[in-house]
Amino acid sequence: MDNVQLVIATLFFTIGGMFFIPLLPSGVRATASFIFILINAVLTSIPALDALRGQSLNVVFQGTPFLGNVPVRMDALSAWFVLIVNFTCINGALYGIGYMKAYREQKANLALHWSMFLLFQSSMLWVCMLQHGLAFLVAWELMSLSSLLLVMFEHQKKETIKAGINYMVQMHIGVALLSTAFIWVYFVEGSFDFEAVSSFFKENKNVWLFLLFFGGFGIKAGFIPLHSWLPHAHPAAPSHVSGVMSGVIVKMGIYGILRVALMLESNWLLIGASLLVLSVATGLFGILNAAIRRDFKKMLAYCTVENIGIIGAGIGLFLIGKGTNNPTLSTIGLTAALLHTLNHSLYKSLLFFSVGSVYQQTHTRYMDQLGGLIRKMPQTAFFFLMGALAIGGLPPLNGFVSEFLLYSGFVEGMKTSNFYISTLMMLSLAGLAVIGGISLLAFTKSFSVIFLGNPRQPLAHKPTEAPFVMRLPQYLIVAAMLAIGMFPQYFLNWVANLEVLAGHTPDKAAFVHLNSAMVNIGLYSLVFLVLLLPVFFIRNVSMVNRPSAIITTWGCGYVAPNNRMQYTGKSFSKTLGKLLGFLVGEKKNYKEIAPEEIFPKERAYVSHYTDFFENSLIEKLTKPLLKGMNRFEFIQNGRIQYYVLYGVVFMLLVFLGTLFKLI
Amino acid sequence: MISLAMILFASLIFTGVVVRTKSLASGRKGPGILQPLKDVLRLLRKGTVFSETTSFIFQIASSIYFVSVLMAILVVPFGQSKGLISFDGDFVFFAYVLALGKFFSIISAMDTGSSFEGMGASREALYSMLAEPAFFVLMGSFAMLTGHTSFHGIFTALHFSSHVSYALGVLATFVLIMVAMIENSRMPIDDPKTHLELTMIHEVMILDNSGFGLGLFTYAVNLKFAMYGAIIANFFIGDVPWYYAVLVFTAVQVLFAVIVGLLESFTARFRMAHNATFIFTLTSASLLIFFGVLLLMGKFI
Repeated sequence: MDNVQLVIATLFFTIGGMFFIPLLPSGVRATASFIFILINAVLTSIPALDALRGQSLNVVFQGTPFLGNVPVRMDALSAWFVLIVNFTCINGALYGIGYMKAYREQKANLALHWSMFLLFQSSMLWVCMLQHGLAFLVAWELMSLSSLLLVMFEHQKKETIKAGINYMVQMHIGVALLSTAFIWVYFVEGSFDFEAVSSFFKENKNVWLFLLFFGGFGIKAGFIPLHSWLPHAHPAAPSHVSGVMSGVIVKMGIYGILRVALMLESNWLLIGASLLVLSVATGLFGILNAAIRRDFKKMLAYCTVENIGIIGAGIGLFLIGKGTNNPTLSTIGLTAALLHTLNHSLYKSLLFFSVGSVYQQTHTRYMDQLGGLIRKMPQTAFFFLMGALAIGGLPPLNGFVSEFLLYSGFVEGMKTSNFYISTLMMLSLAGLAVIGGISLLAFTKSFSVIFLGNPRQPLAHKPTEAPFVMRLPQYLIVAAMLAIGMFPQYFLNWVANLEVLAGHTPDKAAFVHLNSAMVNIGLYSLVFLVLLLPVFFIRNVSMVNRPSAIITTWGCGYVAPNNRMQYTGKSFSKTLGKLLGFLVGEKKNYKEIAPEEIFPKERAYVSHYTDFFENSLIEKLTKPLLKGMNRFEFIQNGRIQYYVLYGVVFMLLVFLGTLFKLI
Repeated sequence: MISLAMILFASLIFTGVVVRTKSLASGRKGPGILQPLKDVLRLLRKGTVFSETTSFIFQIASSIYFVSVLMAILVVPFGQSKGLISFDGDFVFFAYVLALGKFFSIISAMDTGSSFEGMGASREALYSMLAEPAFFVLMGSFAMLTGHTSFHGIFTALHFSSHVSYALGVLATFVLIMVAMIENSRMPIDDPKTHLELTMIHEVMILDNSGFGLGLFTYAVNLKFAMYGAIIANFFIGDVPWYYAVLVFTAVQVLFAVIVGLLESFTARFRMAHNATFIFTLTSASLLIFFGVLLLMGKFI
């Protein structure tokens, strides 16, 4: 079979699978869905690997009804994202087999869930491959809707419904922007093919069309101030879905932005610099919010926002490089963006999976209610620790590799003679350093509050380690992360090939240069581990014949410490929250004790942080809108008589319209 | 290789000089220069007490912290000779390897479930976050000035040619001294010599460490001081033969130690609430260096 047939076969497997899964006995639906996903993954990975080797897939389906000629292309850029989607979806489905066991009573709901999961994977794959504006939008829409149904699995909960509707509305604003962009191109160029976008850019001003595309894709990706769906949707969804959504669905937005950015023909500097500023702001905002949240899934959602910022900074560097005729800079920027896309999809899904296991065992998402889980769930703790180290960009894991590339990019960018660009680069460098610092705080906090110390509250049932089927995908991800962290040069070469194929000619010298840095990073990460062994060994040997005792934690002389006195996540990040209070807006609910109140009554103290953009920007806009819309409530009043009347009025209008030749 | 040897040598006496300076400043005779080293050796030979709350994180943290400092030291060059590790962008590696150690020291403090140690851990995380941009802007500026991105490249290409560049050197020294004080939780950020529970950051984080682990943590402080001293020394060594370089290096280290001692004798610890502001101000000192570099390179239009 040639690659075209393989790709087409995924359509049959997806549609077949979607109808086949509900017919199966409910016990095996998850496994069946996993198998279908695996088949789809294999079918698309083969052409993807070919594309990375230089044989892109390029077919045009002639004369399809309604859409006309539909080009399907798998070039290297698509292939890179296809592979990321496949790896994450396979892991997600595998993890989901274990995770969804807890819901086995809800048979119909599960059938829909697994059908949708299959559709979700397939639609993402097709988003990467379709290069016809309208067909692309259909796949894009299927992706949004299937993920919406996945998010709303626990639809009986009010907050889930709210999160789902929020997600749906925001996604459709995105679709509206994208449709406008494609239709604009169609009016100018007369074609929905992506190549028409390219020729549009050659002849017209680039900024406005890019802005439209950026708005549409940026909502999916989660750039500020378009990020506000993320912190609602991720906590509401089941963990394997949050993992896959955070790992890859936001990357579809990045794919779109990259696809368009590679086609730009002018205005690079303006677009690149704006994107860089926005991205660093996104990163800072995201990680700051992640550091202060106590709901661990919300924390991870904000952390996704941060990482999107880091990827965006890479794209910004790429464009600035193009704009200033600095091939080294654009090469570093694009490489950092692509590599970080892969890295983030790995560790973010790992983190979501590990907290999913915690949620399944403890039924709470609030880290301040947890503690000491490392003794009950040591492997899950290990996964979270690995994810935390990687996301903080610490060696020897993969996050460091892409952040290192970005740092080198900023230093490279400073070398221009342009004062403004140098300053911008320096501020971005400082911004990235702050992001790194805050993520250290955010993740030491989350890891230690969830897993270390003593349990802060008694749990309803004793937590146990997650089953093997849930741990297996996490081991796979950890292995992949270590591989990238220790041998980054091979992955760099992959990305190098990819860039050539994606139409950007990377700078050879820059690559040789980066490659040697990568070899060194990998080597010294290894040296670190090798040095660690003797030190740890000597420590253990020295302890063998010495007295050793295990007693309670030193309480500084206080004899009645209890578990509620441990430092909580809230107190850990309180100083940071206070320092940047103007951005995070803590809302407190507490009545001070009045002087005349001699015997104070029992009182509660409630505090929560609000999202700056959501509360002071978006709500300010939507509230009046909602108020205005409520005035038309009388139209939809639920009485059939009125609806019949509307129908009659409508028919009358049509009749009169035709009579007087108005329509 | 020579830089590793020199830094290790400096680390042996650094804290001793600091303690000696402090005792002389307060009119005491004080212990011998090698006393802190002897204390560490004594700790390494001692038995250990563990808290029953702790997990394996606590067991591995001290080793990881120590090795992370060692790795960072391997990056630092000595005048014209490279450190054992040297590649383009190694200053990023330097900062992040230190951060890795810090990550583990923070979570090991949280591992004990003590509210004191949690407090120290949270402060350590916050303050090192605030100090991070100062270091990066400093190194970024010199990278821009010299066109090199490794410590070795930067220091060999760095020539003090005009008045502005001397000012830069002085500012850089100031920033690095302060970063070293923050990294080691010394005055004016924190006072390590108060009663343990009143020491707010580093010392309180390692309250539950004892024996070998405590020895590693304590010695890592010496190593870190010597490491920052070596970086400062590199600003002044320049292009001189090795025997002069050794002299300059030793002089800078001793001077650095004396300054630390004097700072600790004649300043009081800040209130915790003021620390954040103070630390972040360092970034503006770094930004001054950056603007100085822009000035030197004629980028101001």
